[in-house]
Amino acid sequence: MNLADSKKKLALAGLGCGLVAACLAFFGNPANMAFCIACFVRDMAGSLGMHQAEAVQYARPEIVGLVCGSFLIAVVTKEYRSVAGSSPLIRFVLGMIIMIGSLVFLGCPLRMVIRMSAGDLNAWVALIGFILGVATGAFALKQGFSLGRSHETNAASGAVLPAILAGILILAVCTALLKASEAGPGSMHAPILLSLAGGLIFGALAQKSRMCFAGSIRDVILMKNFDLLTVILGLFAVMLVYNVALGKFTLGFDTPGVIAHSEFLWNILGMYAVGFAAVLAGGCPLRQLILAGQGSSDAAITVLGLFFGAALCHNLGLAASGTALNPETKELVAGAVPVNGKVACVICILVCFVIAFTNKRKVRK
Amino acid sequence: MRKKELKLVVTFYTTADAMAMEKACKEQKAPGRLIPVPRAISAGCGLAWCAGLDARDALRQLMDRMDIEEQDIHECML
Repeated sequence: MNLADSKKKLALAGLGCGLVAACLAFFGNPANMAFCIACFVRDMAGSLGMHQAEAVQYARPEIVGLVCGSFLIAVVTKEYRSVAGSSPLIRFVLGMIIMIGSLVFLGCPLRMVIRMSAGDLNAWVALIGFILGVATGAFALKQGFSLGRSHETNAASGAVLPAILAGILILAVCTALLKASEAGPGSMHAPILLSLAGGLIFGALAQKSRMCFAGSIRDVILMKNFDLLTVILGLFAVMLVYNVALGKFTLGFDTPGVIAHSEFLWNILGMYAVGFAAVLAGGCPLRQLILAGQGSSDAAITVLGLFFGAALCHNLGLAASGTALNPETKELVAGAVPVNGKVACVICILVCFVIAFTNKRKVRK
Repeated sequence: MRKKELKLVVTFYTTADAMAMEKACKEQKAPGRLIPVPRAISAGCGLAWCAGLDARDALRQLMDRMDIEEQDIHECML
């Protein structure tokens, strides 16, 4: 069966991904972080000792599952193509920018949608920034932005990232080498096998449906095509039902326990950077993992940029803090973006503009 | 529901080539429109040019003239 030849089937793929996310949230993943690419990559970076934020260190099997699920389905359906060579270091920088923007907002586009489905109005505010960022990227595409084409390379090259991530999972399960949080978001997780299975299923569905949060809005802007948006709406619908049914739907700002903040400007600018950089890189963080799984070393380099960006965010104090209740005084402590994070976010946006308008399509004649 | 028919689908290595194709076709009044790459095709940058089967030669000449590099030309039920 072709999973993706009609809008109904695309919506079904989105529903499937939503079910996976809801299931993982139910079985232990942090509230409203059921399946966040930025948060989970940040946790993996922590588990490898790339940063020392003790609350966010855990080798997330979901990330391994996503990449390996995409890899396996691509091999089985003969869509695996090992390609590389499209401005790798610019893609690395774009990966860093996506992560810094995500940790200023506190979530990738996938988590933004999951937070929206839980009634978090900060995520709806951030959506404005994300749409504007994607629109700016689409404008750059119309002006001839290009990172150049990729080329076929050795088949093994495209399998390196899936192999590395599988190795990390084996280390996490079989040794005590990797760091694991004892408190905080990193300590909250579904059982390993369930997380891995969820990642594999999500990865396979995302690969077949071409799911992409930035791409869905880009397609609406450039072609008035709503196919990819259908997948996202399917996921949103399942998470909305899950949150309402389990009493986890709370409409409002400043919701303690959600790991979010209410600095509107920085929610908007953080996701603006993410949307802009994602269009330039050819896909949102989820799509980068999926493309890396199906053989793109360029996307794998972007994923490495995500890891590096996550380490920078916590080593240099760029990541925002979430609104929380003080356990002793029971007072609400507002989450905030640190000054370093604000400066970094502005620099990221400026760098996006430089990349967008200095890399043009080359004409041979 | 709209009846599916066999169409020509041109895929590109980069989004920039797809955008250049759209611009060139508009300027030269060549047939077709930009679409997401059909999921039956495993290729490309995400965007493709879709036109009637009879436009194959005209589009080939246009791409050659405008220096637009296509990845492949497919025939798909759309």
